[in-house]
Amino acid sequence: MKNKKVQRISWVGLIVILALYPKIFGIYYTNFFVTFAIFAIYSVSFNLLLGYTALFSFGHAMFFGAGGYGTALALKHIQGLPLLPAVLIGLVSAVVLALILCPIVVRVTGSAFAMLHLAFGQLMYVLALKMRNITGGEDGIGGFPIPPFSIPGIVSIDMKAPENFYYFAIIVLGLSLWIMWFFTKTPFGQIQVGVRDNAMRIDYLGFKVPQTKAVVYVFAGAFAGISGSIFALFQNLIAADSGFGILVSFGAVINTLVGGLGSFFGPVCGAAIMQILEELTTRYTDRVELVAGLILILVIMFAPMGFVGGVRILKQKWLASSAPGGKLEKAS
Amino acid sequence: MDSTTAMYVAQGIHGLAYGMVLFLVASGLTLIFGMMDILNLAHAAFFMLAAYFCYQFLSLTGNFWAALLLAPIATAFFGVLLERFLLRKIHAYGLMSQLTLTVGVSLVILAGVKIFWGTENLPVKIPSILRGLVMIGGLDYPVYRLFIIALSLMVLAVMALLLYKTRLGKIVRAAVSDPDMVNALGINIPLVFTFVFGVGIWLAGVAGVVIAPILTVFPGLADQMGMDAFVVVITGGFGSLTGAFIISIIFGLLSSYGVQFVSSLAPVLMFAFMAIILAIRPMGLFGERE
Repeated sequence: MKNKKVQRISWVGLIVILALYPKIFGIYYTNFFVTFAIFAIYSVSFNLLLGYTALFSFGHAMFFGAGGYGTALALKHIQGLPLLPAVLIGLVSAVVLALILCPIVVRVTGSAFAMLHLAFGQLMYVLALKMRNITGGEDGIGGFPIPPFSIPGIVSIDMKAPENFYYFAIIVLGLSLWIMWFFTKTPFGQIQVGVRDNAMRIDYLGFKVPQTKAVVYVFAGAFAGISGSIFALFQNLIAADSGFGILVSFGAVINTLVGGLGSFFGPVCGAAIMQILEELTTRYTDRVELVAGLILILVIMFAPMGFVGGVRILKQKWLASSAPGGKLEKAS
Repeated sequence: MDSTTAMYVAQGIHGLAYGMVLFLVASGLTLIFGMMDILNLAHAAFFMLAAYFCYQFLSLTGNFWAALLLAPIATAFFGVLLERFLLRKIHAYGLMSQLTLTVGVSLVILAGVKIFWGTENLPVKIPSILRGLVMIGGLDYPVYRLFIIALSLMVLAVMALLLYKTRLGKIVRAAVSDPDMVNALGINIPLVFTFVFGVGIWLAGVAGVVIAPILTVFPGLADQMGMDAFVVVITGGFGSLTGAFIISIIFGLLSSYGVQFVSSLAPVLMFAFMAIILAIRPMGLFGERE
């Protein structure tokens, strides 16, 4: 009972903090938070593949980019397109891409899956660079109109104001996070974990392994698409490097590993840590690659379970030392 | 000879030369994977590093042959360091850690190259004996392209001899199929692993040096070649040298004739080819495992 009350109070507290955030921290840190939220959702969608289904993708950016380009192209070419359908188009374009790829990719596992995604991701990047008349090449698509959020006859909110956009982005991304969390708790989500742990046994139990993988794959692609779509709206620009770039793909891997891939909220922690680190490093140096590379090496060498894993180990140690006898087995 | 045939032959030579360089990179990659189960994503970064070493040695000594000899060895030295001090320690953590670690290493190499040499294109001059064209049977051939093909074939022959005619080669081949058993027979498998890793990086280094005069030296060198080499290894089958060789040649020809005939589609051709092969054989053309 008490636990539930604490939980409810912390939820309310979180919502109040999120609602007041732009008023307290000002515009710079509001935009900072939106960027963090976008990459947190993107990384969580990546972790649905890696942490929950053991599908390691080195090209998750292609869904991010597909979402971004889908929204940007739709807003550029369709006059007076409302906001939500624009986001929806971003989602659909990522889903279509995932549907095209999944017959090939669900048949391979491990390194072949990772390599295939590296190759396909790079293919999308090259296509975005070369098909200049559609995608604008290196410059990307920018300056498309940002429609207001409107329910006809009731309300119309201007999305060009950063504060309004903050609320819109937080609600969409928060909903996405909740849906993904819910997804992992459904029976289907449990099958997904089963596929990760022992695909052959799941097969013997009568579940269809490739189909399960395909559903998860499309699902993860869809939410990467949403985050990409919000990103394009937020920046009012999507370009080959920021959408399909290899560092975007690696960003998901880094966030997930730094945060810890064994847990749902690990990538969120990872995204926060990396966002803050990037903010600090870009103040002193412009060698982002060097810092990212060193962090990857250090995390793998010294903290392979990431931030959340490290916290868990510390917690276990603390529990074991404070109450001797049997706690360690219980906690693990 | 009419000009159409000349064009076909010229494109063929270009394609073969690129395919050979591609094979030098991909063979190291597939050799390391076949034996150690390590997919080295930093492979292309070493390839680029070798090109920079070539530039450096060349500007120090002015002798291309010295650079050709020394740059791959220097690169292999760094590769051995990577294997000995990083990869070996995380072998137990599994594939994903290795992939991520090697990505980290390649980012560090990229940053290091930018710090030491900057981002602009650095030219590499080839010795005068390799410049110009040579006339064979009424057709002009660019000497340097022929040199690349000859050198690659020579390296290939030496590798084949080493692998199939020596005791060391026997150990390496045995270790590919069952490293634990070979270790139990009293052979120092970690040492053999380090050696094979070094040789793989050395092959990438040779490729980096011979490509430097054609493409000039710049940080983006790793991107194109790395991607092509990975596609070769995936399509040819992980761990298969034969597969890597055949697919490299096919891709080399595909890219040079592709640019000639359907230039807008050229970057897509290779991936389409890979998709078809994988749809039929998910383990790759000559792969035995997934």
